Amino acid sequence: MSTNHTSGAGSAVHAKKAEIFCKDEARVDWHSKALWMLREKRDRAASSIPEWEQLRELGSQLKLHTLTHLDQYLEEFEKNCLANGIQVHWAKDGIEHNQIVHKILADKQVKKLVKSKSMLTEECHLNPYLESHGIEVIDTDLGERIIQLAEQPPSHIVVPAIHMKKEEVGELFHDKLGTKAGAADPLYLTRAARAHLREKFLSADAAMTGVNMAIADKGTVVVCTNEGNADMGANLPKLQLHSMGIDKIVPDLDSAAVILRTLARNATGQPVTTYSSFYRGPQTDGEMHIIIVDNGRTDMLQDKILAESLKCIRCGGCLNTCPVYRRSGGYSYNYTIPGPIGIAVGAQNDDTNSIPWACTLCGSCSYVCPTKVPLDKIIHHHRRLKAKAGKLPYGKRSYMPLVGNFMASETMLNCSMSVARTALRILPGAMLKPFSGAWGKYRELPIAPKSSFETWFNKNRGQ
Amino acid sequence: MSSKQSILHALKRVAVEPQAMPEINVSPRLDDVIGQFETNLGAVAGTLHREAGLSGLQAKVDELMAQGQQVISTVEGITGNRTIPETAHELRDIDYAVIPGDLAVAENGAIWVNNKNLGHRITPFICENLFLVVTADTVVANMHQAVKQIGLESGEFGVFIAGPSKTADIEQALVVGAHGACSLNVYLT
Ligand code: SF4
Repeated sequence: MSTNHTSGAGSAVHAKKAEIFCKDEARVDWHSKALWMLREKRDRAASSIPEWEQLRELGSQLKLHTLTHLDQYLEEFEKNCLANGIQVHWAKDGIEHNQIVHKILADKQVKKLVKSKSMLTEECHLNPYLESHGIEVIDTDLGERIIQLAEQPPSHIVVPAIHMKKEEVGELFHDKLGTKAGAADPLYLTRAARAHLREKFLSADAAMTGVNMAIADKGTVVVCTNEGNADMGANLPKLQLHSMGIDKIVPDLDSAAVILRTLARNATGQPVTTYSSFYRGPQTDGEMHIIIVDNGRTDMLQDKILAESLKCIRCGGCLNTCPVYRRSGGYSYNYTIPGPIGIAVGAQNDDTNSIPWACTLCGSCSYVCPTKVPLDKIIHHHRRLKAKAGKLPYGKRSYMPLVGNFMASETMLNCSMSVARTALRILPGAMLKPFSGAWGKYRELPIAPKSSFETWFNKNRGQ
Repeated sequence: MSSKQSILHALKRVAVEPQAMPEINVSPRLDDVIGQFETNLGAVAGTLHREAGLSGLQAKVDELMAQGQQVISTVEGITGNRTIPETAHELRDIDYAVIPGDLAVAENGAIWVNNKNLGHRITPFICENLFLVVTADTVVANMHQAVKQIGLESGEFGVFIAGPSKTADIEQALVVGAHGACSLNVYLT
């Protein structure tokens, strides 16, 4: 999606990077379990609401409606923002976004900026840009602060430091914040971060946040956090900035209510985030700026299938359920946003051309998505686009030109899956393992069921 | 062409067929909304005081002040020992803030707070502990009903607060008290 898209870890094919992560089997299991816990919490939260499926359908429809009328809504939003005393800027890409932010800050001689909720600013690589202009940037979400101190990019969109163990955070904080050596208690470490960041909030010259929703008919931005860091930032200094992708628009408060009901439930299983803040203008004597960013989103809207990925509300649910993400880690995706949604929005610019294959097409992501982003369909579409463009990753070139037709044909797909199952049952593991990639190198291959689900279903449940 | 113009121009060619806006009509759960609210407030780590009323709250505040705690109140009828200062930053040492909530939401334990009642916007976030006061007849069933009623005029700020500040960013362990208030007590009147 962005013009400069690779994550800090550099670009290598997905399997290569996953292989690094897979070497530590205990960590892979631990990572997988931590995320599965979130999936289970999500399931409990979803099933506690009888209208869950209705909310998913409403979420999907209202986002599709907005995306197909974006020009109108963006103009309406701008007009209403201006009426509320909010200044609005438009950026076609990450570079322009960064320049706009820098200009606003430079005009006010800002030296210290506190930032929160910032996947978009990650996408635009804002931090290094501002730092190179002499502005101190402090990420204030605890997870983001941890990885900022560790000089790493986020590995998850909601819990960015999910890959780190508490002992590692303890060591890092001992180094950077002077906490006791060997301390690894999350409560102790969180309190230390609270004290450290409070000083930053109180001494910052400006605050910047991302946006969960932008309400067109009110000229209002909504920011959701559990920690309250966005509000500690935005409500202390007199200058507040909010960056939003064009896809963050919703028509009205009624639409916002639908999304507020699913966002946190699908992310962490909470009934709602602790703070859902609505900014409809600057504080007294303050200034409020909104930067509306395209950065490849209008291009995606020109493709019928890719367009639907912009329905995403960034809950992270699809990451938590993804069997590949859970076992390959966020850094293997070659893009700021990992997991299924990361493939959907990042694959077009993936110079390794490998990430559309970091997926089993199991469909679990599409099943949990609160706005029904058809992730498996989009990922499959990316494989075709890569095949069509003759850009297949190393090792897939020999057979992949056929993939487009092959994947499109259900009969062929089922047929070959049955060949695979037979092969798994009768061929010696040693013969098959080399073909199973990084995954098979360190563990046993699954015992294949005798029949496919399809066969079972037709026999037992089919009409 | 300006960036705004080029973005709007590109948006004239969206590949998806225009879709109609759905009608949002979700039936609310109306049985025992206060009980639902209490349960969900508990789930987000807040505590509801159903019986104490304003006098119970004032007694609590008096007790805290006697212990030397710094209390600020913007609720009529509740007196603290601090007044709204000139600048937001001067609230940095507030131990307890007492603030009125406009309405409460049964399905998730959230309470809507508007900046008209805050002195400074930062008050409910910068205090170490938060007391919110909610009138029983303002408890609504769900968010759909809540957004129909929230007051948010041009230029204002409002926030749904559901429990004390929290984080689970270190190995998924829930820690209450990240940047905002470390505890939330809600008094129903
Ligand atoms: S694609 Fe769906 S499940 Fe994944 S982050 Fe976006 S909204 Fe959540």
